[in-house]
Amino acid sequence: MSDNNAKGAVAPAGSGRGISSFLRSRWILVFLVLESIFFCFRSEGFSNLNTVQMLLYYGVLVFLLSVAELFVIVTGGIDLSLGYVLGFASIVSIKIIERLTAAGLDPGLSLLVGVAVTLLIGLLPGLVNGALVAYLNVPPFIATFSMLGVCHGISELVINGVYAMGLPKLASDIGAGHFLYVVPGSSSSSFFQRPEVERGTAVLEIVPNIVVVTAIVVAVFAFVLARTRFGRHVYALGGNMDAAIRAGIPVKRRLLGVYALSSFLASVAGVVYAFMYVSGKADAGASLLLDAIAAVVIGGASMFGGSGTVGRTMVGALIIAVLDMGLRMSGTPTFDKYILVGVILIMAVIMERYIKEAA
Amino acid sequence: MDGESAAKDKEGFLGSGAGRFLAMNWALCFLALMLVIFSLTGQNFLSINNFQNVVHLQTVPFLLASAETFVIITGGIDLSVGFVMGLASVFAAKLIQVFLASGMGVDAAILLSVLIALAASVIPGLVSGFVITRFKVPPFIATLGMWGIANGLALKISQGYPMAGLPDKLPGIGNGYLLYVLPGRFVSFFAKPDGFPDSRIRELWRLVPFSLPFIIAALFALAFALKRGSFGRHTYAIGGSMDASIRSGINVDAHLVKIYVLSSFLSGLAGVFNVFQTGIGNYTTFNAQYEFFAVAAVVVGGASLAGGKGRIWSSAVGVLVLAFLENGLALSGVLPFYRYIAVGVLLVVAVVIDKLFPDVR
Repeated sequence: MSDNNAKGAVAPAGSGRGISSFLRSRWILVFLVLESIFFCFRSEGFSNLNTVQMLLYYGVLVFLLSVAELFVIVTGGIDLSLGYVLGFASIVSIKIIERLTAAGLDPGLSLLVGVAVTLLIGLLPGLVNGALVAYLNVPPFIATFSMLGVCHGISELVINGVYAMGLPKLASDIGAGHFLYVVPGSSSSSFFQRPEVERGTAVLEIVPNIVVVTAIVVAVFAFVLARTRFGRHVYALGGNMDAAIRAGIPVKRRLLGVYALSSFLASVAGVVYAFMYVSGKADAGASLLLDAIAAVVIGGASMFGGSGTVGRTMVGALIIAVLDMGLRMSGTPTFDKYILVGVILIMAVIMERYIKEAA
Repeated sequence: MDGESAAKDKEGFLGSGAGRFLAMNWALCFLALMLVIFSLTGQNFLSINNFQNVVHLQTVPFLLASAETFVIITGGIDLSVGFVMGLASVFAAKLIQVFLASGMGVDAAILLSVLIALAASVIPGLVSGFVITRFKVPPFIATLGMWGIANGLALKISQGYPMAGLPDKLPGIGNGYLLYVLPGRFVSFFAKPDGFPDSRIRELWRLVPFSLPFIIAALFALAFALKRGSFGRHTYAIGGSMDASIRSGINVDAHLVKIYVLSSFLSGLAGVFNVFQTGIGNYTTFNAQYEFFAVAAVVVGGASLAGGKGRIWSSAVGVLVLAFLENGLALSGVLPFYRYIAVGVLLVVAVVIDKLFPDVR
């Protein structure tokens, strides 16, 4: 097993012969392109700017959760609590913001404070997970599953089993708004604010706000994983724990950090959810766990740790997002999505193994 | 072993005989403690009716936890049990609908559907087992894939709605009792006496739900399979050391496929039972989390996710711990949401205790 991994990691991407080696290292990218082309023909109106934006808009939660899951999977662990941390954060943010606006605070300021406090609270589940995994040697599966239950319970208690609502209108303006508005033909454009135009005039909306936010967050964490000492340590933990200890890496602190980071990202996703849907509920992210893990694994990360990049994980997440949007637009019930994600997940692992053995 | 126990003795109470007994059977002790406490705090907790209800409602978790026990002993995990169960449930319901529409008798339709659904329920396990052994896909991934596939298929068959309109006979069987007693008046077997008014149903003692002998027989059979004979021995051997099992001549791949088939069959059985219990075909919702609660029960029962450890009866105790925790809290007037938190805490405690006594099985 470790032999194969080592071989796959050592073999440079360009070795071997021409096209076949290109395909070998980038087959998921090729798959994404083929999939997109397929849906361009299959689903009416798929190949258009708006669809691409919608696809990214509805994909943001999976993008964020899959990056969170990637960090944990690179260490050789798993975080099952992400979906419910997302729900927990969506509820907490709304409750805080609701209180602040009720206390007469300016909506903008209360959003800012509410989000900041939520993200801080969002570190807690991860810190507990990390402490259990690193210091008490509880298997990640059990620790994070317990946290799933705890988050679920606390969320339901906070909202008494219903929904959290009551965000100011500003929140939905941000959540549904776009980065840039262009009025074709009139050379006028504006950032963030929808221009005042006559009814019926077409306004080009370019890049939803939350996609911009997500892109920035993902880029930051891609940098953290690929370019910082922390990132190198994360790979070292997953590659070989003993070697990491001998190399003087503070293994326990790093594990704590990884789980905290993972639940922080899930909280970001929770806040984004609250802004998108202007409501919060405990099981908001329950169905996203499969997608998040699938994106990471389709992106070529090994469940045993030590491999995986944010870029490839994003390609995995895009494969799922394109599938979701493509199926919706072709009028197929979304039930097919679950089946296909399951199949692609298993095929991806088999493919990865085949490629490593062939290399 | 002597050295180890000597070392343990130095640890005082935890190393003493009583301490070891407590550690080995802490789930059982915890269950007993819980029963005592809830008997004091819970309204109507200590009653035959309540206990019968709890056990009856745990038939599905018993089956799923048993399935998970086999898989976890081999060092694997089956995340698909909950959705395979849902798939079997809607598939059986669909078959009954189709057979009835084609003019078949009610009994024949039910019988045939149950048999076909049970036979078909081995397919997900066959696929998972094949993918795991032939392509060396980690069990977590293979069964997570099956999680999605089974869920999608179940939703496709049911079109996203619970499948009602099945014969009334089903819940009659699924929720029937062996014995109906009206104290001082009559005793009746299998069905309440003809003409007994529903308004007086509370005076009637209903004893031994059909599900009770069913689940006890099933657990006995599974415990027997795990304890005696080569099947159980190989299961533990694979979990203990995969390499050693291969070297000692066990056909590991074939055995693992059998394990996943068994797991998926038991999930299918749970799904069919679910049709009898509720009278409708239910697909599994995302927040039901059957698979996680099954794993939790197995771990509370003392199994290790690393494999090589676990017993059917211990897992059954784990199921009862989780069940009475929920039931007792509810009857004590605690909001149901605390249950999730309590299960989470209990799980961590289970693992920490397991870590303190690594050699106890």
